[in-house]
Amino acid sequence: MPVSKYVITLCDGPSCMQKRSKQVKDVIKVELEKAGLADKVRVITSGCLGMCAKGLIMIVNPGYVIYGNVTEKDIPEIVEKHLLKKKPVARLLIEEDHLYNRFYRVFGDVNFFGKQMRIALRNCGIMDPENVDEYLALRGYEALAKVLTSMKPAEVAAEVKKAGLRGRGGAGFPTGLKWEFTAREKDPVKYLICNADEGDPGAFMDRSMIEGDPHTVIEGMIIGAYAIGAKEGFVYIRAEYPLAVKRLEKALADAKREGFLGDNILGSGFSFDIEIRLGAGAFVCGEETALIHSIEGSRGMPRPRPPFPAQSGLFGKPTVINNVETWANIPVIILDGADWFSSIGTEKSKGTKVFALAGKIKNTGLVEVPMGTTLRQIIYDIGGGIPNDKKFKAVQTGGPSGGCLPEKYLDTQIDYDSLAAAGSIMGSGGMIVIDEDSCMVNMAKFFLQFTQDESCGKCTPCREGTKRMLEILTRITEGKGVDGDIEKLERLGNMIKKSSLCGLGQSAPNPVLSTIKNFRVEYEEHIAAKKCRAGVCEGLVTYEINAKCVGCGACKRVCPTAAIAGSPKTVHVIDQAKCIKCGMCFKTCKFSAITKK
Amino acid sequence: MDKKMITIYIDDKPYQVAAGQTVMQAADKVGFRIPRLCYHPKLSIEGACRVCIVELEGARNFIASCAYPVADGMKIRTNTPELRSARRDIVELILDNHPMDCHTCERDSNCELQRLAYSMGIRKRHFEGEMKHYEKDVSGVAVIRDPNKCILCGRCVRMCSEIQKTSVLGYAHRGFKTVVMPAYNMPFRDSSCTACGQCINVCPTAAFLEKDYTQELFKKLNDKSILKVAQCAPSVRAAIGEAFNIEPGRTMEKQLAAAIRRLGFDYVFDTQFSADLTIMEEANEFLERLQGKGKLPMITSCSSAWMKCLEQYHPDLIDHISTCKSPMSMQSAMVKTYFADKIKRDPKEILSVAFMCCTAKKYEAARPELEVNGMRATDLVITTRELAWMIKSAGIDFLAIKGEEFDHPLGLSSGAGTIFGTTGGVMEAAIRTAYELATGETLLDIEIGAVRGLQGIKEGKVVMDGKEIRVAVAHGLGNAAELLDIARKDPNRYHFIEIMGCPGGCVGGGGQPYANSNSIPLDEECLMKRAEALYTLDRNKTIRRSHENPDIQRLYKEFLGRPGSPASHKLLHTHYKQHFPVGIIPESLKQQKPAEPANK
Amino acid sequence: MVTPLDIVKKKRAEAINRIVGKGYLSTKRVYVGMATCEIAAGSKEVMEVFQNAAKQGLTDVYLSQKGCAGRCNLEPTVEVVEEGKIPVKYGKVTPEMAAKIIERHLKNGEVIKEWVIN
Repeated sequence: MPVSKYVITLCDGPSCMQKRSKQVKDVIKVELEKAGLADKVRVITSGCLGMCAKGLIMIVNPGYVIYGNVTEKDIPEIVEKHLLKKKPVARLLIEEDHLYNRFYRVFGDVNFFGKQMRIALRNCGIMDPENVDEYLALRGYEALAKVLTSMKPAEVAAEVKKAGLRGRGGAGFPTGLKWEFTAREKDPVKYLICNADEGDPGAFMDRSMIEGDPHTVIEGMIIGAYAIGAKEGFVYIRAEYPLAVKRLEKALADAKREGFLGDNILGSGFSFDIEIRLGAGAFVCGEETALIHSIEGSRGMPRPRPPFPAQSGLFGKPTVINNVETWANIPVIILDGADWFSSIGTEKSKGTKVFALAGKIKNTGLVEVPMGTTLRQIIYDIGGGIPNDKKFKAVQTGGPSGGCLPEKYLDTQIDYDSLAAAGSIMGSGGMIVIDEDSCMVNMAKFFLQFTQDESCGKCTPCREGTKRMLEILTRITEGKGVDGDIEKLERLGNMIKKSSLCGLGQSAPNPVLSTIKNFRVEYEEHIAAKKCRAGVCEGLVTYEINAKCVGCGACKRVCPTAAIAGSPKTVHVIDQAKCIKCGMCFKTCKFSAITKK
Repeated sequence: MDKKMITIYIDDKPYQVAAGQTVMQAADKVGFRIPRLCYHPKLSIEGACRVCIVELEGARNFIASCAYPVADGMKIRTNTPELRSARRDIVELILDNHPMDCHTCERDSNCELQRLAYSMGIRKRHFEGEMKHYEKDVSGVAVIRDPNKCILCGRCVRMCSEIQKTSVLGYAHRGFKTVVMPAYNMPFRDSSCTACGQCINVCPTAAFLEKDYTQELFKKLNDKSILKVAQCAPSVRAAIGEAFNIEPGRTMEKQLAAAIRRLGFDYVFDTQFSADLTIMEEANEFLERLQGKGKLPMITSCSSAWMKCLEQYHPDLIDHISTCKSPMSMQSAMVKTYFADKIKRDPKEILSVAFMCCTAKKYEAARPELEVNGMRATDLVITTRELAWMIKSAGIDFLAIKGEEFDHPLGLSSGAGTIFGTTGGVMEAAIRTAYELATGETLLDIEIGAVRGLQGIKEGKVVMDGKEIRVAVAHGLGNAAELLDIARKDPNRYHFIEIMGCPGGCVGGGGQPYANSNSIPLDEECLMKRAEALYTLDRNKTIRRSHENPDIQRLYKEFLGRPGSPASHKLLHTHYKQHFPVGIIPESLKQQKPAEPANK
Repeated sequence: MVTPLDIVKKKRAEAINRIVGKGYLSTKRVYVGMATCEIAAGSKEVMEVFQNAAKQGLTDVYLSQKGCAGRCNLEPTVEVVEEGKIPVKYGKVTPEMAAKIIERHLKNGEVIKEWVIN
């Protein structure tokens, strides 16, 4: 594909769509043809760019020239003056120095980043994370300075509340409200915690944020501490992220040296310092009360709430604990305004969310999209769809605590409430795409194995109940399922969901329950027909030799039960009664003559 | 805790309850009894078992009623079909990981899990699967544990760390493999456990038990060649009725003596006698120290759990400890010397058995420092629970038996000896005698209210010979540690300190009968009733001061001479030294040998 | 009264000066991704190639590192930014490819189209 000279980004958000962005795009194409620039200029549409008041927005790169109030009539002028003669059209220019849309300046990968809106990840990938100068150059710590210069603590919390930011760790509690509750407590000692434990297997949003841009998290934390009146903060980060820890340590040292942490920050009289605490490999320590106990030096086990950490948290003091991504959003809200932030997203879920797109998909990676984007857009437009022409089967959101959504939910909008209504959860942002070659029962078993292993062992439903559910699931995948197993799973699962002490137990049955709800047929096949349609569950697959067999006898030699019969140069046959389904013949055959089903 | 009244709705009916308490506490006061397992009013709230869940209108999930605070207008449901099904399933899940040997279990018919399972109506098991398999730890001389029976309610962990503050037990590993154990899964014998047995008291199942010596005793009771001598602690008589479904507070002293005799003992003595003896020695020691011949404050040492705790955690106070042995050890020493001489029997042929309310006494009896003339003074220690079982097993009708007296010469006791069993009793008894020995006058106000009662730390004052004597009493090892910290900071604050290792004193010992189905372990009312039983016995006695006990006077005249004599010192006094549990390296040794434990 | 905002604005100016002083306004800026995922894919070796080239006198090139840009299946990534041009992102860069990028793109200005992520 030829490298373009120019890239035109046309905003395709709801507001700009009303201002005829589609029609404008067509006109652009026509004009480019006329000017002979069709193969040198790329035109893409992106999600909402957040400048709705001045829509229709058109950005021309390189140079990050922003045009506002664009109509079809302006196109010929833009093409002629800007693209051909390299002189931007002054009357349509907008000066914007927002934090959030900086990413578009360094476009180079439009397929992936076109529909994204990088707010939390705004600096990841365009700055050196170990250089505080670069962060300062990108308007770093200006939000902190603004807060310390001209805002009172209550105003900060009110602004965050107005923005509608909800906790990005998974629970989705309104952040500003949490800050207000804590600020209201009369105890002079308060604490601030950043939850960087990120225990979800396969999730790496928080790691990327800390490795790519640790200062934004630090800045967010200092602003939060000012809002609630805390003097000490902790970053609880898992020890399995040594590079992130190293970069965070350097960032903290740099911030301290520059006077952003410590006593009398920037001469404002406000003092705050941050310490790092390392985790030790327990998923349950990502739960807020277990995390607090872990920092206190006790065993990482949750406790019943109320009282909530906002009233009595670390060392019994009022504590605010937020996820890394939540903190990363704070400087942007302060500088670009709560009104702008709440204009992105849906009615109840504002802003953007980072997802770790993984699984059977062409473009894996971190994706940050406004709330309200549909699953289909993420998987197909940004992710590029399923590789190898396989069929889409399901998407798993929210990590081991979430549910699997089949094709009929592809048009669900991504926000806290819609996903919950569909039977899954937002979680911290894991999104795993599953194609037809995966077995849903096996997938449920995989997630349940994880949550069972990570259960802290305090409460009976999670400790014992998930173990029993896992035993039933294992039996089913081994072909030993019996009638009534599905009902037992549902009964146990629903009980565990409602009776467990903490979020781990309350969400551990989700993968099982959602796969039963959406893919019950697969379970029934496993149990009644002893068949695994994806061919994954060993023990439930049938191996058969097809016509490609040349009679080399290699499979016969490796079969441990002598279940293969056949003379040289004739098609061999597997005796199903003797076959123990070990798969050795399948691995050995060089002619793809053995099919697995 | 504010006493504002609010309205909550339980099962659609309004109730007026006080604000500032949990749903369970409020419901308990208006005639409900929500099923529960890990909750205990004296321990912190755990919320672990999830048996006490109730439905709260407006909440997505069930809430634990033991943890959730009441709020005005809240609507609770306690008995919906979904709740019943969830609770039943939760209890079944506990059973599915619990040995199915109720009929051969120590706590058959007296097990909280059994009662709960019955009330849930579990008639079929749906979720059987893998079960845990751990080794039983029978290394301890006093307390043994069986992790297979543990249901992970956490009561023992909380008891040990919050009330006793010895923190011997904790959770290890996680998930299905979670288990309660001493640090590093050390055998109990080697750990820092003080053998106080409070874990046995609070455990709902048979995960903790005392080491059972009843089989050995039964065998020995059949041996005609040895002389079987028993002694019986004050607290045993105050509580043994409970093992026979009598309400707490009825002393069965006479029936106890009769039953023990029927079991096959030749002589049944009373530990209250040697309690008087202890007072004689201790009052004498105290007065000597008051004159400058020893360190003040003086700290009592009849509590065996306290002995181990002292040697491990408070070695700096060893010089302050009274060198007097405990009543049990003094009694056994007298049995094997004074009494053996009197009846002209070889002490090696005497079996000295002590019936105690205490598990730590089993540890004490094995202490080498307490040997007399090269042999163990107390051969066997049997707890109240074990004794009750022996009585039942031997076919004795404890409630109908005709009462008998204890034997002479070691069976007569004063009221001061009787009150030894409750917290403050040792102090009161000591003051009664010390006062008279020091001033020559009779102490008229003989019941010293300041040291009575269940407050954790109590202080009192007595004016003796113009001098103000300040005393303090603590029960429970946690309160003891607190009191001793106060005493360390202000060495002149007290002259005399009484420490009892168990909450409530010996009446709350680790060997006392389990709580009945309508009571809870360590119920304060129960402890007070047991204490009151002893105080009543004291009140009904004519001799209420240890030094007025004629048998004690005879013992000194015939055998010991006087309190503090060389004979007394040899037989009735002991010494203590610093002790390190296995694996604990003392600071002083860390510089020399970095990786070796001090004790093998 | 110097407000925190004044202080930060001053710091920003100083920071920009320092960055420019290090060569930020060079004709070409090269960023090599250095997050854990990139390093696992081999970006440390790629960075060494560029660093060696810089030591041996590759002029007018500002070499820096960046955090993860989210393109997991195409790591290691190298980005070449030139003022006035669209940034060029190379994916799945090996040390050999890095050497060629230095030769052809950085020294001769040729964009190697087959390796570009688009």
